[in-house]
Amino acid sequence: MSKRVVVPGELVTEERKKLGSHVFISEGKIYSDSIGLVNDEADYASVVPLEGKYMPVSNDLIIGVIVGQRFSVYAVDINSFYASYVSKKEIREILKPGSIISAKIMKVNEMNEADLGNVRTFFGGEIIAVSPVKIPRVIGREGSMLSVLKAGTKCNIIAGKNGLIWAKGGNVELLRKAVSKISKEAHMDNLTQRIADFLGVKEGAQHESPQTENDSRRMDRGGAEEENSESI
Amino acid sequence: MAKKQEEKIVYMDSKGKRLDGRKAEELRPIKIQAGVIPMADGSAYLEWGQNKVVAAVHGPRECLPKHTASPYKAVIKFNYRMATFSVPERKNPRPSRREIEISKVCGEALEKAIFVERFPNTEIEITAEIFDSNAGSRISALTAAAVALADAGIPMRDLVTGVSVGKAGGKILVDLSKDEEDAPDAVDVPIAFLPNSKEIVLLQLDGVMTKKEWQQAYKMAWDAAQKVHELQKGALKAKYGNNVKGDEKK
Repeated sequence: MSKRVVVPGELVTEERKKLGSHVFISEGKIYSDSIGLVNDEADYASVVPLEGKYMPVSNDLIIGVIVGQRFSVYAVDINSFYASYVSKKEIREILKPGSIISAKIMKVNEMNEADLGNVRTFFGGEIIAVSPVKIPRVIGREGSMLSVLKAGTKCNIIAGKNGLIWAKGGNVELLRKAVSKISKEAHMDNLTQRIADFLGVKEGAQHESPQTENDSRRMDRGGAEEENSESI
Repeated sequence: MAKKQEEKIVYMDSKGKRLDGRKAEELRPIKIQAGVIPMADGSAYLEWGQNKVVAAVHGPRECLPKHTASPYKAVIKFNYRMATFSVPERKNPRPSRREIEISKVCGEALEKAIFVERFPNTEIEITAEIFDSNAGSRISALTAAAVALADAGIPMRDLVTGVSVGKAGGKILVDLSKDEEDAPDAVDVPIAFLPNSKEIVLLQLDGVMTKKEWQQAYKMAWDAAQKVHELQKGALKAKYGNNVKGDEKK
């Protein structure tokens, strides 16, 4: 894998390729629109961004923090451009500002405002904030990084696509250090292995070969998020 | 008597050297560093000769006050501010006419580069604070702001690259210093490009230039801008090191 860093306006390729994310065409050539990584051998001309805000997409699992309430709704900060709202009828518990929920994004309108569904409330736990573009690295390929983090810190972890990670039990301080290491080294190769070494997780416990794990069936069904939400 | 002495200033000597020893097409030393303010979404620090600028980007975020928002695009709010100690005499901290104007033109220059239509109803706030100034501070602010925007991960067509050219003592010079700007016949032309498309996104000029002089000035500005563009790219890439593959030692 030969990866290189590109900046906005830098040429990605002059060939005709399928278009991936974070690229645009100008005069028949493909350029990057943000700072990120390009893999020149891939079929798609795409840039994996290294910085950026969370843009809501339907079906994302996100972690939200209650910031206020109106007559019949709670306002939820989802780390995006605007707050979202959750109806009080949907939730049994009485929430206060600072309470944590997880939710699925049901619909996003043309103003990037998100409608939330499948709301669950949490009791206790801590929030670790990380750049939203680095969440895929925290989850890892087929959830590999997440299982390393769970094995290494014994925490219950839910990684929201919006850059907020909820964790409870286990060694949260260690998890915080591991996550900050991930976000610092997100642009480098072989990250899962390095985090496994950092946390002292043995080869067998992590998922380089997911078939041998009990989790493999779960992962087959729905990928990282499914596995994520079932472990609540 | 004083006037006679001023006329004696030679802006370029017989060897082609300027007052500070530069050649006509030579820039002052430039240093750029990306990602200097953790609390901002993106930031950059720039030293351009004596100019020192910190640029910080917040956003895209909810546009407040709400009547300033546009349902079609993100609103760019550029703030150019000079610190009270950035000039020889203390500057009144109240935004001056000049600062408000520079904020407007720089914001419009950056808006050309940003994909603003992807973020309706939001604002992108850019603050450029000048800590030390010596001619060409608007160009320094714009160059730093472009790096800060890229550091914030905001999608852009290109990095806006600024450079100033001008005339002093009848000679066309790149990147005028304050002494050269004070020449009796001085013309200062701040100019900003989108380097890929060669589009000009900012151009200001007061003074008099012939067509021939302008053509020469434009060519020199374009060549200098490409040097600045390379430095901007270098600063952004330096943040992630050249070590994309990861350290071998682990």
